Amino acid sequence: MTTLRTADEPALGGDAPHGEHGEHADHPPHPRGRRLLGAGLVVLAALVAARAATGALGPGILPDRLQDFVTLTLSVIVESMPFVLLGIVLSIVVQVWLPATFFAAWLPRNPVLRRAVISLLGVFLPVCECGNVPLARGLVVKGFSVSDSMTFLIAAPIVNPITILTTYQAFGWSDGVLVSRVLGGFVIANLLGWLYAKKQDQDQLLAPAFAAECRVDAGGPHHEHGAGMRLASSATLFRREMATLLPALFVGAAIAGAVQTLVPRSVLLVLGSNPVWSIAAMMALAFVISICSNVDAFFVLPFASTFLPGGLVAFLVFGPIVDIKMLTLLRTTYRPVVLVQLALVVGLVAAALGLVVNLVA
Amino acid sequence: MSRDLLARLASRWQGVALTLVIGSGTLWLAATGQLVLYIHPRYVVFTVVMIVVGMLLSLLALALGGGDDAAQDHGHDHGPRPRRRLRGALTAAGAVVTVGLALGLILLPPATLSSSTASTRGLGEGVAVAGPAAGGAGGGAGAGAAGAPAASDAATAKYTVLQWATTLRQTSDLSFYENKRVDVTGFVSPSPTDPADTFIVTRFVITCCAVDAQPVGVTVYAPNWRSSLKPDQWVRITGAFTANPSRTSTASIALVPRSLTPVARPADPYLT
Repeated sequence: MTTLRTADEPALGGDAPHGEHGEHADHPPHPRGRRLLGAGLVVLAALVAARAATGALGPGILPDRLQDFVTLTLSVIVESMPFVLLGIVLSIVVQVWLPATFFAAWLPRNPVLRRAVISLLGVFLPVCECGNVPLARGLVVKGFSVSDSMTFLIAAPIVNPITILTTYQAFGWSDGVLVSRVLGGFVIANLLGWLYAKKQDQDQLLAPAFAAECRVDAGGPHHEHGAGMRLASSATLFRREMATLLPALFVGAAIAGAVQTLVPRSVLLVLGSNPVWSIAAMMALAFVISICSNVDAFFVLPFASTFLPGGLVAFLVFGPIVDIKMLTLLRTTYRPVVLVQLALVVGLVAAALGLVVNLVA
Repeated sequence: MSRDLLARLASRWQGVALTLVIGSGTLWLAATGQLVLYIHPRYVVFTVVMIVVGMLLSLLALALGGGDDAAQDHGHDHGPRPRRRLRGALTAAGAVVTVGLALGLILLPPATLSSSTASTRGLGEGVAVAGPAAGGAGGGAGAGAAGAPAASDAATAKYTVLQWATTLRQTSDLSFYENKRVDVTGFVSPSPTDPADTFIVTRFVITCCAVDAQPVGVTVYAPNWRSSLKPDQWVRITGAFTANPSRTSTASIALVPRSLTPVARPADPYLT
């Protein structure tokens, strides 16, 4: 495996001035910070005032279809935002506040075992797919190989306590939906981790911008000591991650909203009772709907009356890993070719799993 | 201010700015009780807590000046020229979408989904609409409907559109509906099979957020309803179920109103 950074290396050039942003946030609060905070508070006040002033406007400003598109898109954003924030907070904790050797110290050396353990980390980190993109990015920066972080990325949305709980609430033990989902997520994550571990140059998997970020971070100030320093690093990390992820979230949500406004749901429902097509239809639905894995069991429950259980399992395994919103988010971190391979592998395994469930149930 | 500096400022602070936009929009929705137009009530507290955390982190990032940006200044635009142009176009499109949505979140009054989405999502008559009839997700609503055919008149008097729609799917035995008083609120969606004389009194049911809203509805026989009502108007209807007098509608049973009153959109427009 390739390690992207060696945590204990001295900060080579990391503390030298970069470009025109020479000053560091070493000694907060400095004048620039005060000016920026002032500007931020003014913007915030303007936002609140604008929102309060326009809140009472009557309906019918936009035509129905356009309004529904906006409502659906905003609902994806509002629903995902807390999970994105949770993921970023956890990512900051992992990158800045945990000791550099925190994971290295107790993770098994054997690659297969190590990935198996990593894929179960999700049990302690209850993030859904939008939250674990920033967290997986954090793990790569922290020294995880790309394939190891991929194992986490894919397993965590499914093998996490909230997802398991909501799936249990929705389905109980019926038709093996819960068991197939958790096992499926675990197997797919380890399969993909194993496949990508074969790749010699792990940097090749990453989007160029993110790979560059990892290289610079390797010498960065993160492992300097002192709470003030760490606070500054946390703030920088927050600003950078949000700048990368939020535009992706907006675009992904907009595409998901547009598809849902335009494609009639009945097209999918007609296919629901066929053992093969029900799987394809539910996977297409999962791809389009782009809701978080923590809550998707509730979403899919109403379909239990019209769809075979295999279709539901395919939805619950495929959706958390591959959907419109998630691909846009993943694009910030991985190369497009990796995303295509990932979607293909996950799609094939999820479909196979669905077929098996349909045959058995 | 040069364009280059402006672009740099935007790419540097866009995440913080969007966090503040989503934050103020969401907190305002929560404060005015309208967050439920977008997400299920059970996520309101979690959402508000995380949004507050995010806004505090945004202000912290501002106060500390944001640190350096060395990493992000590298690695862009090293591709061949045509790809660079394509990327530029995509970035611009993404920026337009993002800014548009941010403005929408701050400037547009919050809205519920309309009847046109209800029809896209398979609201129909006699069609097995995927409603949360399976129980569980609907909580009280689903559980109540499950025992429907044995339900007392007192219980059915409080039935929502969802519970009646579920009951109608379970039994089309007219004698069951005799002497049952119906009192439901929902919005008007034109009937696909008899748009002149029947409409469907509709509610959306959400299990997570507006994205997963499923329409449920009960067919209402009201000849020439368009003279006094428009699609999407919220109404309260009392009346009783009878064999559907409409000749073209595919619904065998319809609600015939005794009274039909236009009302304002309820505070909790989605059923859960």
